[in-house]
Amino acid sequence: MNFKYGMLTPLLALFGVAVGFPLCYAVYLSVTDYRLTDREPPGFVGAANFVSALSNPAFWEAFTTTAIYVVIAVCGELVIGFALALALHQQRWAKDLSRAIVLAPMFITPIAVGLIFRFLLNDQIGAVPALLHAVGANYDFFGSGRALLTLAFIDIWQWTPFMVLLILAGLESMPKQPMEAARVDGAGPVYRLRRVLIPMLAPVLTVAVLLRGLDALRVFEYVYATTRGGPGTETQTLQYFMYLEGIQFFRLAQASAMAFIVLVLVLAVIVIAFRTIERNKA
Amino acid sequence: MKRPGWLDIIRIAVLTAAFVFVLFPIAWVALASFKTPTQMSEPFLLMFSPTGENWRAVLESGIFAAAGRSALVGVLTVSISLVVGSMGAYAIAKYRAGGSLTRFGMLAAQVVPPAVMVFPFLTMAHALRMTDTLVPVIFAHLSFVLPLVTWFLIGFFEAVPSSLEEQARVDGFSRWQAFRLVVLPQVYPGIGAAAIFGFTLSWNDLFYGLILAPGNAAILPVAISNFNTFRGVQIGAMSAAIMIAIVPVVVASFFIQRRLVQGISGGAVKY
Repeated sequence: MNFKYGMLTPLLALFGVAVGFPLCYAVYLSVTDYRLTDREPPGFVGAANFVSALSNPAFWEAFTTTAIYVVIAVCGELVIGFALALALHQQRWAKDLSRAIVLAPMFITPIAVGLIFRFLLNDQIGAVPALLHAVGANYDFFGSGRALLTLAFIDIWQWTPFMVLLILAGLESMPKQPMEAARVDGAGPVYRLRRVLIPMLAPVLTVAVLLRGLDALRVFEYVYATTRGGPGTETQTLQYFMYLEGIQFFRLAQASAMAFIVLVLVLAVIVIAFRTIERNKA
Repeated sequence: MKRPGWLDIIRIAVLTAAFVFVLFPIAWVALASFKTPTQMSEPFLLMFSPTGENWRAVLESGIFAAAGRSALVGVLTVSISLVVGSMGAYAIAKYRAGGSLTRFGMLAAQVVPPAVMVFPFLTMAHALRMTDTLVPVIFAHLSFVLPLVTWFLIGFFEAVPSSLEEQARVDGFSRWQAFRLVVLPQVYPGIGAAAIFGFTLSWNDLFYGLILAPGNAAILPVAISNFNTFRGVQIGAMSAAIMIAIVPVVVASFFIQRRLVQGISGGAVKY
């Protein structure tokens, strides 16, 4: 059995250094009054940072903003990604090229994607508003009430390919017989989709939504590239808000406390979601 | 050859729309990278005498050095993750080592917001006088690449039938040899997919790079974002920088997409 632990030890050691240690250090930071500009060792303040974060309306606003963003983006990606995966699955002509084009956005660094859309959708120089002006329409993509939607749209542009990738992999590894049997039995396309395909793909869809949702929660690049939280604080997502607190305003301790509150809430949502799934299975 | 039905027509229409949707922004940026600032205000100017000025400015800004640093960070992070992760994932998958806690830990590590992790990395880098070097960036990238790669690999190792390994043991292989020479080759497609995935994650990250190495050791995403802040916005130069970041990965995506689909369908999506 020494072999088993010999194999595991390097992983645990590296995991401890790269994840465990920073995590513990962050716990320590979150109960001090540490500021990035401090010279002397930080003092212990107990739960004060947590209390001030929980009672900070701006924190909860960022929380709501992020939740709306994640729901819109992930739902959009799931629906569009599912349709595209089905379409690509049956594509025979120029198969590799069509797949490469559809998957391309997920390989582009998000800051580049954010900057592309910042200028593509810009009122003065962007091609899309110019196109809209030509047909007499006027739509300010980064205006009040619309900026968050635009950010979610950018997320959809970049990350629908991730859904396509996972769903496509699921479709490729799926046995063909059930779909064939349903067709032979005279089931229509809608019935086959709802009663055969979606139930069979359910595990893949769950993993895809989970991974996408967790990743969308940390949205930072698009906000940083386009709105910087504006107009007002409308598009201040959690990650951007904590970046401002910790780095711009040097309040590392408070930012760490906020990050832990987010972590606990997200873990709670995941545990509840998995419980619900398990119960529905039984 | 059967006659295309209405489902096929919808399918082709959906795919065509997706192609336009994906390619239009990229083409627009490619065009913008050859425009002068005055030409920039006319989005649909297609015929113009292209300027090489933007590209010259970008090349002089050391964008290739930044791309090189990004590649170095990505390769090191992925190599370390693959070696350590494959050994650990094998132990977890075959011997249930570490119980379900280790396995859950790998997934839970995905939940930790980078904002929690970045400040400890920053204060440690300060203490060890390693701010603005690649060392803290590599450790920071390991914090999200290692758990994800391991999590993927656990699935791949579980898909390998244990009879293969037992046969190797009967044939006189040691445990290590059985792992290295029999089991590992079985999961090469999965390792390939995990490597591509991990590299993409590392290559794409802005957040850690921006905070841990904003200056001389800037990685590519940081270098690109700098065109957005210094001396106002130089859209032409920024477009050229974006093209430099896009072209290699889009070309690579043509070659790796098949490997990626095959690799992932081999077990990663079964949890």
